[in-house]
Amino acid sequence: MAANTRILLVDDHPIVREGLRTVLQRRAGWEVVGEAANGVEALEQVERLQPDVMVLDITMPRLNGLEVCRLARQKTPTTEILFVTQHDSPQMMKEALNAGAKGYVVKSNAARDLVHAIEAVSQHRTFTAMTRPESGSTSDSPARNS
Amino acid sequence: MKTRILLADDHEIVRRGLSALLQKHEGWEICGEAIDGREAVDKAKQLKPDVVIIDIGMPNLNGLDATRRILQQDPNSRVIVLTVTDADQVIREALDAGARGFVLKSDAARDLVSAIEALQGKRMFFTPRVNELLLAGFLEKGQTMSRNQPPMLPTLTAREREITQLLAEGRSSKEAASLLNLSTKTVETHRSNIMRKLSLHSIRDLVVYAIKNKIIQIDMPPETNELAAVVSGQRTDSPV
Repeated sequence: MAANTRILLVDDHPIVREGLRTVLQRRAGWEVVGEAANGVEALEQVERLQPDVMVLDITMPRLNGLEVCRLARQKTPTTEILFVTQHDSPQMMKEALNAGAKGYVVKSNAARDLVHAIEAVSQHRTFTAMTRPESGSTSDSPARNS
Repeated sequence: MKTRILLADDHEIVRRGLSALLQKHEGWEICGEAIDGREAVDKAKQLKPDVVIIDIGMPNLNGLDATRRILQQDPNSRVIVLTVTDADQVIREALDAGARGFVLKSDAARDLVSAIEALQGKRMFFTPRVNELLLAGFLEKGQTMSRNQPPMLPTLTAREREITQLLAEGRSSKEAASLLNLSTKTVETHRSNIMRKLSLHSIRDLVVYAIKNKIIQIDMPPETNELAAVVSGQRTDSPV
């Protein structure tokens, strides 16, 4: 039997973390191993828990998600990082991928895209999905690159 | 009898989180969900919920204007506003709109249950942060301000605010007309009136006005961007 995919949820809004959990808990073999409400907490948790995937918000108190991503990639390179953010912006997506993220999903579509995104990044494939058609990314058929 | 709750937020993930939180409470049920202010107004009319929980920053019709409409339809409606900020102006706007509860999204998991219970008991609910502001004489200051300077927002009618939001979100007059079941000419007349009333000269001005007055909200990246500087008054000459 394949090992569980272990997931860390990072968002400063508990209600968003709860929403993300409701999407993830329906999936057999996925386990939410921890939650963090800010960037500093996220770094502590990712180092301690060594999850397979960290679902990460960008705008957060104490340390923003981009900084967390850069530092986490150094500390725990085996953890893939998936941004779930309100920033529906190609520039921000580029910055996130440059920081070392493997995936980028816009919050307004998270309920739709999250499962596909985690499937991809947990297998070390890139997943990006945005809503703006002019952004150069796909909307209904999210881009998946190896 | 169960307390029936209508949830309005444009993010499904937030609605799921709220729903999961509230359904743990015996005697409460989610009777409907809405993805923008317009749908919230329609569903409030159709479903007659006991409590409406409404996000402020939503497309098509923002939560504050939707609250005004819901209360116009039924003055006994009880609305809790969910917001990402407790800036003075937002609090004042929410109270003016008739909301009986004000909960920060960041504190929703902690405060929302108490807010609904308060409204069930015909009381109001404010987050501790709002209460602190009230204690600090916020309302007194607000009343003084409103005596001294006419508020900006009431200069527009509800229809004009609605059109302001749609235009500031990037829709054309034709698209706005289609959404509101009006003729393009009528929308253009409203648009001219809006620009004249507010002494605005371009869509850029209108966008800045809409952001400043919380008619629309923008995503703020971690670093301050040019638009934020324009809106906050630090710069007045940047293109939007």
